[in-house]
Amino acid sequence: MLDTLIAGLLRGNVYALGAVGISLVFGVMNVVNFAQFSFFGLGAMLAWFFITTLGLPFWLALPLVLVVCAALGLIINISVVRPLAKFLPLAAMLSTYAVSQILDNASQIAFTAQFRVFPPVLPNSNLHIGNMRFGTSDLVMLSTTAVVMLVMSLFLKYGKVGRAIRATSQDQEAALQMGIPVGLVQHVSFVIASALGGLAGVFIALYVGVANPASGLNIGLTAFVAATLGGLGSLVGAVIGGFVLGILEAFGIHFFGDTSRQIIIFVILIVVLIARPGGLLGKVPLISTEPLTGTFLGKGRPLRIPRWVWAAAFVVLGIVIPLLRNDYVLITGTQVLIYAIIAAGFTVTAGQAGVLALGQAGPIAIGAYMSAALTMQLHFSFWVALPVAGLCAAIVASILASPIWGVKGHYISIATLGLGITIVAVIQLIVPQGIYNIPVPQWFGTALTTPTAYYLIDFGVLVITLLVMWRIRRSHLGKVISSVGSDEVAALASGVRGRNYKALAFAISAFFAGIGGSLLAHQYTYIDPTIFTMLMSLLVVTIVIMGGVSLPYGAVVGAIILIGAMELLRFTPELRIIVYGLVLILVVRFRPGGILVRNS
Amino acid sequence: MSSLHPDTNVTDKGLTMKSVIRNAAVASVAVLAIVSLAACASGSPSSSTSGSASKSTVYFGVSAAQTGQYAQYGQQFKEAFDLAVEQVNAKGGINGHPVALKYEDSQSDPKQSVAVAQKFVGDSSISLVFGDFSSAASIPASPIYTAGKLVQYGFNNSNPDFTAKGSEYQWSTSITTSASYQWTADYIKKQGIKSVGVTYLNTADWGIPAYNAFKTEAKKIGLKITDAQGVLDTSDDYRPSLSNAVVGKPQAFAHIGYGPDAAKIVTQLRAIGYKGTFYGGQDEQSFDGTPDAAGSIVGAQFLETNPDPAVQAFVKAFKKKYPNEADVTGFEAGAYDALNVAVAAAKAGGTTRAGILKGFKALKDVPSVVYGKITFDQTTRRVASPDLTPTILKAGKWIAHNG
Repeated sequence: MLDTLIAGLLRGNVYALGAVGISLVFGVMNVVNFAQFSFFGLGAMLAWFFITTLGLPFWLALPLVLVVCAALGLIINISVVRPLAKFLPLAAMLSTYAVSQILDNASQIAFTAQFRVFPPVLPNSNLHIGNMRFGTSDLVMLSTTAVVMLVMSLFLKYGKVGRAIRATSQDQEAALQMGIPVGLVQHVSFVIASALGGLAGVFIALYVGVANPASGLNIGLTAFVAATLGGLGSLVGAVIGGFVLGILEAFGIHFFGDTSRQIIIFVILIVVLIARPGGLLGKVPLISTEPLTGTFLGKGRPLRIPRWVWAAAFVVLGIVIPLLRNDYVLITGTQVLIYAIIAAGFTVTAGQAGVLALGQAGPIAIGAYMSAALTMQLHFSFWVALPVAGLCAAIVASILASPIWGVKGHYISIATLGLGITIVAVIQLIVPQGIYNIPVPQWFGTALTTPTAYYLIDFGVLVITLLVMWRIRRSHLGKVISSVGSDEVAALASGVRGRNYKALAFAISAFFAGIGGSLLAHQYTYIDPTIFTMLMSLLVVTIVIMGGVSLPYGAVVGAIILIGAMELLRFTPELRIIVYGLVLILVVRFRPGGILVRNS
Repeated sequence: MSSLHPDTNVTDKGLTMKSVIRNAAVASVAVLAIVSLAACASGSPSSSTSGSASKSTVYFGVSAAQTGQYAQYGQQFKEAFDLAVEQVNAKGGINGHPVALKYEDSQSDPKQSVAVAQKFVGDSSISLVFGDFSSAASIPASPIYTAGKLVQYGFNNSNPDFTAKGSEYQWSTSITTSASYQWTADYIKKQGIKSVGVTYLNTADWGIPAYNAFKTEAKKIGLKITDAQGVLDTSDDYRPSLSNAVVGKPQAFAHIGYGPDAAKIVTQLRAIGYKGTFYGGQDEQSFDGTPDAAGSIVGAQFLETNPDPAVQAFVKAFKKKYPNEADVTGFEAGAYDALNVAVAAAKAGGTTRAGILKGFKALKDVPSVVYGKITFDQTTRRVASPDLTPTILKAGKWIAHNG
């Protein structure tokens, strides 16, 4: 028991450091900073480079890492985050995701993807309590965190800039009116957060013993959950959240095993959010707005699309491309179309209901597994299994999501993120092995296995999806859902039960996600849980934001650009992801409301 | 409330500006579509320049991760492939035809590996494809290669189902996980060990089938598994799992996984005070350099220190070409072998797609730095009776272990 407690404390220490950085930036900018994840991996690799390659002593390398990370943080904030955060926090969030892709890949080019042995700068197993051994290194880490937290709290309480940070985080506009240089405050916060991220990265590497540029992602995600658990924006909450999560996680793994790690983390998060929708120490404002509310709907109008464009698009996508008979284009096209179906269905949740759910991989996986089970065990035809898989995804995802609709704002994004990861983790517990030989669609006894056939099936489903979405938007129901997203308080005052309509919108989105999953399963003919990752969920969100968050047809454009771009950029394999990230940032910078939405 | 349904809300102010933007948007979408089509169409290089001269280049495709989570392995493969191609061409190529590779980055992501597969199938100059790295990316691509009658040589796919559930176009020279972990269970038992604690990667395409093979064999030969914990390679802290796994005081410990996760596991296993022999790890930089990894034992196919002249020639050539690489591991050796096997198949059956398949069916005793000589078992499309050598990690090097 004591062993587990110590393991949890050491782990919680790292989470706390990361969570403080995330909460700090969130407090002053209202932006969830995904780039913070990259600083963990970057900090570790930089420290490895300074110590092993340049031969610097650890005590010199550590401050150097902090300086480099802080400088990078400042550059990122000046060039990308702040210009966007000023008028659109959501666009800024998306761009931080792009920044993190760029940082990770630049670091991979600089240091290679190889896992490296982190130099044992301090003894790490010279002391012991019972059977559990630990070392000077662990004690130094714990005390460093304590000192950093103490200095931070004194700085925030008495320092001039520190007080300005607190004022900005309480009310940005009031702070501005009182003559506080909010821009400077945001820069300082970003710099501190980035340096803390680097520090946490060095600590992770010290503790774990090996590191590579991508090794920060999972710790980053957990630190992010810790920040949410404590209450976004609350620094004390972040520290508490970090330690609570570290300790509970250690005990959870002790009892249920490492395979349920993600389930444990997110179940803790969801339970806490249901009980306290603002996190342990966060405050829930009486009247809160969704992150999407009054931003996309208020700030941009969709471009008017002349009728001939619809006809032209139909002809090009449905007739010209299949006639080209280029199988590579068609197979890439199937991926574009399937993601367009999933994303078009998602616009009702993200755009109309204003809920930025980050866990669509969950319902996609349900659809894929359900469809595989129906065709293989019960010998359903593909054409029956397809809609049934969609229905199952809608029902199961709705039941699982039902407790979280009282949660608001960014918290619901994190809660749905957790939901998606948990669904896939549970599927992995039930069906640990991959499923092979999923039957391909048949048409009166002929197996449809050619790229053209897949493409045409996907195209047909997409057309139906767009028609259904168009019908829903035009209907009374669609307008009610939109009212919830536009102004939840006003909708509530008019007697609209926002919670129920959000759940309904989510169910509709889950239905189309399930359909997409089924299409993927029967095309790949093989599925396993590694296909349905968090990156898949993020891709769906990115597609939707790219095209215009409430425009189903925008999802088609978003899917063409985002999936097509990955293929188009094949001419530069090393720089592919970096160029992709840059394109994403530029699009968000100049079209923050989406490609098909005019700025206003 | 106009923001409620913005798409139906059209005012007449700023009409000119609006139409400019509208036209710009329409134009940009159109341009984008054209560019994508053009780019895709140009994806298949015109082989019109090939002429009918006998010295036309033979192209092999490589579908592997060059970026993302598995990029480390993609980089290792590439170094070995490039070396092998250089050597083959220096010796006159395939009956005079030079060999060249076309790389496509799949990130070992099935969404991209199927597109890569279709790209290769559509590129008539490609006569064989290596890859992908992971089974989760290789298996979804298999039907496409089969339909394109293109040999998919998954030289790294240790999941037995890659070939077992595949068609005659799927071949592999990787030892299957079931074979290598049966061997491991047998070997541990042979050391006089009666009980073993186990951790295994909880991955559908690799770790779980491997653990099942280990468990079945252990039961058959009477090796007691005191506790088995599934773990994730993305975790960093295994102490809670490990303290459970050693509760039954096993005499030895086995980890079924890769190098980086084994490095973390062995370090933390020692940190909780466990002292038994560690059967696990991999010849890989981060594991080899981990202080606590010393004394680990695995069954290896390829050994850098193997005195065999062919192996030493390969190691020497590799280090000469890549002076920064401290070690040559099974990954590089596997890729190096794979290219030579493909070249041998093309020499035996011809450089066309059909010819290479014919070649694979006829191959016999191809020289190999991993196996000595490779002959395929034609029913499994894997190497017939692969052999493993017990090796122990000493001072950062794996050496043959006699025990």
